[in-house]
Formats: sequence, structure tokens, C-alpha cells
Amino acid sequence: MTLERNILLAFLAGAALLPFAVTDQYILHLAIMALFYAVLASSLNLVVGYVGEFSLGHTAFLGTGAYTAALLSTQAGMPMWVTIPLAGLVSAVFGFAIGAITLRLQGPYFVIVTLSFAEVLRIVANNWIAVTNGPMGLAGVGQTLFGDVAVTDKAGFFLIVLGIAAVALYLSYRFVYSNAGRAAVAVRENRYVAQSIGVDPFGTAMQAFVLGAFLAGLAGGFYAHYISFVGPEVFRFAFMATMIIMVLLGGKGTLIGPLAGAVIVTVLEEYLREVQELRLTLFGLIVMAIVLFLPNGLMGFIALRREQQAAKPTLNAAKERTV
Amino acid sequence: MDLFPQFLANGLVMGVFYALSALGLTLIFGLMRVVNFAHGEFYMLGGVSGWFVTNYLGLDFFSGLIVVAAFMAAVGWLVDRFLIERVRGQGEEPGILLTIGLSIFLVNGTLLLVGPAPMKVAGAVAEGPLFFGPIAVTKLRLLAVGVGIALIVGAHLLIRRTRLGAAMRATFQDPMAASLAGIRTGHVYAATFALGCTLAALSGMLLASIYSAQASVGGLISLKSFVVVILGGMGSFAGAIAGGLLLGVAEAMWGGYVSMGMVDVIGFVLVILILLFRPQGLFSIRTERA
Repeated sequence: MTLERNILLAFLAGAALLPFAVTDQYILHLAIMALFYAVLASSLNLVVGYVGEFSLGHTAFLGTGAYTAALLSTQAGMPMWVTIPLAGLVSAVFGFAIGAITLRLQGPYFVIVTLSFAEVLRIVANNWIAVTNGPMGLAGVGQTLFGDVAVTDKAGFFLIVLGIAAVALYLSYRFVYSNAGRAAVAVRENRYVAQSIGVDPFGTAMQAFVLGAFLAGLAGGFYAHYISFVGPEVFRFAFMATMIIMVLLGGKGTLIGPLAGAVIVTVLEEYLREVQELRLTLFGLIVMAIVLFLPNGLMGFIALRREQQAAKPTLNAAKERTV
Repeated sequence: MDLFPQFLANGLVMGVFYALSALGLTLIFGLMRVVNFAHGEFYMLGGVSGWFVTNYLGLDFFSGLIVVAAFMAAVGWLVDRFLIERVRGQGEEPGILLTIGLSIFLVNGTLLLVGPAPMKVAGAVAEGPLFFGPIAVTKLRLLAVGVGIALIVGAHLLIRRTRLGAAMRATFQDPMAASLAGIRTGHVYAATFALGCTLAALSGMLLASIYSAQASVGGLISLKSFVVVILGGMGSFAGAIAGGLLLGVAEAMWGGYVSMGMVDVIGFVLVILILLFRPQGLFSIRTERA
């Protein structure tokens, strides 16, 4: 717990120094995307890792947040400090509504129904031309932070997304180590035992789900301003697949895992650009390899190694005694 | 209103292919409990390899169909033996991920090999419409529907009347008891997966002879197959057929009377409603609470 907290703090502190050390715009862009994905992966991890239900509809919240921010900015000319938090709140409301329906289901049903919601939202975004401008999307999302201060360079955006990441990690940390978080883990491990000691599975799952939706909405709001364009593709399954891979590669049910996964996958995707056409094919193979050979993610692997390390001295001591 | 019979006919035609593909998924998802996100990719591979054998190898439609069936059964068998078997009995999650990875791999591998252009499978008969009173159906569609129905019947007979079918039913009732009785359950799982995969692929090839095959079509087909399986009830043979026809007709009606753009929304709205009000599916007798 303290180790986890210290690593997170060190990561954030290190990241805060980055824009002062690096001026290369391309690397800054990569760092921004890595942090953006880190927020998304952390928010998905609250559902997948702590509630233990596999949501494939998390893009619903990312997209809702992105469209909210884009609409508020293009239609009402609101600055970022208003739109991004509002994007989170609107997503949280959506999370509450969708959660109220989907969290009654479990297993494969939950998977399919969450995916259905994301697809419905995508099709609506694609066809409700009056509001969303259909497949053309909403272009020219403003880049003013507050008043008439505009964010013009990548370093500014980096600091904003770092702020969002800090909020996301702080809230996740507080949730995971609160009674609600522990209750969620209890439900994940054994629903019936948890119920028998007075944990309400639906209520705890709902808290995690709404918090996850809120954080994904913040990330979506940021995305709208950073890319300055939002189209129906924010609801696409590709985003979802990337998020899942990050959470599982890093290790679900840990706070550091999704963060590590986000950084690794962002870098890996860029690195694989060298082999242009083969990129996604290799990506698919890598995903399969992770499932088969690293089923608990990197953090699971590290935890296993640490346990083995810890077990070794006692084993040696036992051997010496027999000798 | 005079267009109603035509919409109904169009819907039923599409419904047969939805049913065929969903039948494959109901075996894999409903019985084997593998949440197979690569199902649409098997469908797509069926269309693409159908295009390959009819256009490049110059086979006629029916021998092409047999070659594709054999090829896809082999693919399904290998996928199960080398991938799915390793995560069997670990819950849904590893299976979901594995098949997502497989689907990314198959889509992009296919794109790499044959490119994104639509591919037409050479049909068995000429286009040319037939008229039944107010309804017009092309000969090609009628033939494809006929083959589709024959395949559904064939799959039914395979499951109900053969030793393999009996072994399948025993395995999915109780794998432990089945293996105690001397059934090699590993083979049965692989055979079921191969059958499911073949049904999806043949549905893909039949539809590609009417429309065309495209490397990127898989995602939507996977989702629609899931929708049909849930509509009909997990693992229910008749349910998958009824669900497929229902989805086909509902889409045709919505597309005809309401709006073409939102057609794909129908399935998802149906599935959300079904899971809310009748989670065991429309046609399943066994109550299986989600």
C-alpha cells in the first residue's frame, strides 16, 4: 500500500519534470497520449480489476465526455476549466444510468450489454446530425484554458493531462483503500460471502462504475480539446481494445499496472510504426501471447517473483536444518 | 403498406444468414462458454476464402463451398487446440482477450494479404429476379437461402443423430462424467469449435455471393451474432434460428419504414431489452439467470 503510493507519487513527480527536460514536440506528444491512456486504463481498471466484471462499453464514457466538452466549447464557447469537469460529470450521470441497468447482469451478459450501449451511442453519434454533426464530427474545439489564456504548446497540454492523471490516481487510490474499495474486492472474490457479511454487491459495484465513468469522461474532455476534433470514432472498439490491453498487460486490480501498461503500449504502438503494415497484425499476436504467457500482467509477474524471492531464504534455511 | 411483403421477404433472407452465423456462435458461446469475439472474423474468412477458391482456383460454387468448409473446420480445430484449450476453465476473461487478439490478428493479416477492396464470390446461378406475387427475389438469393437452410438442417442432424453429436451433448451436460464414460472431451471441444467456425464461414461465403466479402466486416457480425444468441437463449438451437429471423425482419422493417442509418441500432436495443426483461432469452425454457 505505501509502496504503491510512493511509486505513484514518484511517477507523477518525475512526469512533472518532463516538459522542463524535454523540448522535443514529438516525445511530448507521446507522453501526453501515454498519460491520457493512463487515465483511461485506470478508470477501466476500477471496473475490471476491482468490481471484477468485464466492461467492453467503457468507450461510451470516453465518447460522452469528448462530445460534451466539444459541444460546450463549440456551441457555448466555454473554456477548458469548465468543459473538462462538466464532461466528467455528464459521463458520471451516464455511468449511473447505464450502471443501473447493466450491473444487474454478470459474466458474458454484462460484457455484451455494456458493449451494446457503446455501440448504440456510436450509431446515435453517427446519425444525429443536428447535434453531433454525424460522421463529419465536431471540429475546431477551442483551446482556451480560462478567461483568455489559451493553451498553445504541447507542454501546456502535458501539464493539464498530468493534472487530470493526478486527480484520477488520487481518486482511484482513495477509492481502492476505502471501505467501499475493500467491499468491491470482497464482492469480486466471492459474491455470496460478501453478501453474507452485509456487503451490497450492487451498491459497491455502482460506486466503482460511476467513478470509472467520471474519470473516463475527464479523459474524453481532455481528448476533445487536445485533438480539437471529435467524431463518432471515439466510440469505436479500437479504443476499447487498446484500453483492455493496457489494463491486462499491466495487471488488473493494481493501481500501478494500468499506468505501466499505458506507457508500454503507447511506446510499443509507436515503435511498431516502423513496420507500418505489419503493425496491427503483430499487435494481435502480442495480445494473444500476453494472455497465454502473462495471464496476470506485469504486476502479477513481479508479485510472483517477489514471492519466490521471499520464499527462497526459508527454503534454504529448511535445507540447512535437514543437513 | 404494399411494400410490406417485400420487406418481410428481405428480412427473412437476411435472417437465414444471421441464423446460420448465430448457430455457430451458440455452439461456441452458449455451450462452450467461450465469448468468441473472433466469430465475425471467421465469417469474414469464409467470404474471403470463398472468393479465393472461386476466383483464383477456378472452382465452381458448390465445390468451393466444400473446400471452404473443410479449410475453416481445420482452422477452427487448430484455434481450439492451440489457443482456446489453454484458457479453458479459467472463466470468460482470458477467452475474451484471446479472441480479441485473434480477431485483430485475422483482420489485419487479411487486409495485408488481400487488401480492403470488396471481393465478390462467383455465384452458382445468374442474377435475374423471380416474382412471387408482389415479392421479387433474385435467383441467387433464393439459392443461397436454400443452401443456408440445408446447412442448418445438416448441423441439426449432426448434433442429434451422429455419435459425435451424442458425445457433444454429453460433454456439455457434464464434462467430467463424459470423460469418465470414455469420451475424449478435448476432441469434442475442438470439433464443436470447428463446427461453429465452419457455420459462420459458410454464412459468410453465402452472403459474399450475394453482396461481397470485405476484410473489415467482422466486428459488426460478431456483435450481431451475440445479439441473436442472447435473443434466442444461450445454447438453444431453435432459439438461434428464431432469433436470427427476428433480427433480420426487425432490421428490414426498421430500415424500410423508419430510417436506414439507424438500422444497426435495432439489435442492440433488442438485446438490452431482452436482458432486462427476459434474461434467459426469448425461447429458452431453462431459466438461466444472468
